[in-house]
Formats: sequence, C-alpha cells, structure tokens
Amino acid sequence: MSQPDPSARTGIDPRSPRFGAGITAVLLLIDLFLSLVGATTAAAVLLLVIALLFAWGAFAGIRRHPYGVLFRAVIRPRLAPPTELEDPAPPTFAQAVGLLVTGVGLVLFVSGVPLALPIAAALAFAAAFLNSVFGYCLGCQLYLLLVRARLIRRRVDA
Amino acid sequence: MNGFAALGILLGLVAVVTAAGLLWRATTGRARTVRTHDVVIPAEIGVDGFGGRATLLQFSTEFCAPCRSTARVLDDLAADVDGVTHAEVDLTDRPELATRFGILQTPTTLVLDATGAVRARIGGAARPDDVRLTLHRILGSDHVSA
Repeated sequence: MSQPDPSARTGIDPRSPRFGAGITAVLLLIDLFLSLVGATTAAAVLLLVIALLFAWGAFAGIRRHPYGVLFRAVIRPRLAPPTELEDPAPPTFAQAVGLLVTGVGLVLFVSGVPLALPIAAALAFAAAFLNSVFGYCLGCQLYLLLVRARLIRRRVDA
Repeated sequence: MNGFAALGILLGLVAVVTAAGLLWRATTGRARTVRTHDVVIPAEIGVDGFGGRATLLQFSTEFCAPCRSTARVLDDLAADVDGVTHAEVDLTDRPELATRFGILQTPTTLVLDATGAVRARIGGAARPDDVRLTLHRILGSDHVSA
C-alpha cells in the first residue's frame, strides 16, 4: 500500500492544474503558429517563457505556480467547492515533463535543428490539451514507463 | 509558410489530439475479459492472501492521481460485496511486476477469481458499475461451475 507524502496531505483543487494546462495549451498553439509562419525569434522567446513557467511549477511546486495563484484568486471563488482534493505531486511531475519537452526543443533549436521548435511546441501542446480538456495526465504515464525502464527508483531506506 | 497554411496545420493538430482524447475517454476504465488462464500467487505480489471469492488487484504508481480515486472505488466495492478484497501494489517499489503483467498505465486493475486466475483487466480509473458487473459475472459463473 502506498500513502501520499504526509506533507502533501492537504491537497489541491484538481481543477487548478487543468486551468493552468489550458493557458499553457493556448500559449503553445500561438507559439506553434509563430514558428510555422517564420516568426522564429518570437517563437523561440515564447517557448523559452513557457519552459521557464514549467520550471517554476516543477521546482517551486504546482501550488506556487502563477497559474495556481491566478486560479485561487480569480476562478476558484466563482466555482462550487471541489468534490475531492488531489495530491499535488502528479501535476508537479507533469510540469517537469513539460520542462523536459520544451527544454530539449529549445536546446536542439539553438544547436541548429530549426524543426525542433515547432515539434516541441506541438508535442507539449498535445499533452497540455489532453490534460486540460480530458483530464488525461501524460506525465503520469511517462512516470510508469520510466519506472519500468528502471530509470526511476524510489529512495531505498537503508 | 503563409498564415492560412499554418492555421490549417493548427486545426489539424487540434482535431487529431481531440480524437485521441475522445478515444481515450471512451475506452479508459472499461473492464476487458481475460482468457489467458494466468494465475497470480499472493506471495509474488507481497500480500498475505486473496479474497475468498474474488480479488481486485490494483497496480498504482507514486505520481498518479486517478490511482487514489480508483483505490476508493475498489475499497468501497470490497466492503460491499462478500468475499471480495482489494489489494493495491505500488509499482514504484516493484518495477518487475509491471513487466510481469505487461502494465503500461496506472491504475491498472486485475480482477482475480477465487483461484487467483486473472479474469478481467481494467486499464485506467475504474468505473464502479463496470467493476460490479464484472464481479457478478465472475462470481456467477463460479456458482455455475461449482
């Protein structure tokens, strides 16, 4: 049996990460458009901003992310109370996956692979859109595949 | 590329991802009948024993929000139906079990009969009504064969 981390027991409103993923999806779609019409510099800068926002969520935790703050300040008061709270660890991990995808795209772009920019934006858009609209967490499934590949191992108490 | 062509690609991308999402929503959490006659032994998954009539064996991972809701659903069902127990295994600690059972997503739930044989498999967040129907089908056929 697994128990969530006790420090995370308070939980977050599950609609908050989906709201944030919606904003991210729109930004990524704009970024893909800019990259496709040849506004490459603007597209690279916007992808960098999106990557930094992913880094914020991944390292500071989903609760300290600006979209989470925006959700609590503006959206949350207009909604009914959440039926259940969610462990903040999965959406925080998903932010790290978003950072990885956009980060790899930017690094490849800077090292001379122009197609990396629209491809990274399209992949990250697909994940953010599925998360926001359908509640499907791609990052969570990737986590399992990493566990299967033995690339992730939980700290062994020794 | 001109703006219209770029918009076309954007629309195509949104359409493909929406189709994938709809397909996922239609299929996730559905119980599928398994006929492999794979028998699970309690010791191999690290539990003391199985339910007298059926066991809901749930595989989870650490960063998995639907695993929590599925655990609640299956706990309630186990409390509700006689002789049925719920066991949860975290694959983060036991990655070899993910390979053993070919698990590609969490939660994945195996419905075992009284002998520990795998009778159904549920990929994704379990739907209470679907699990209940599956249990009735397995428990019912046991009565017939007994």
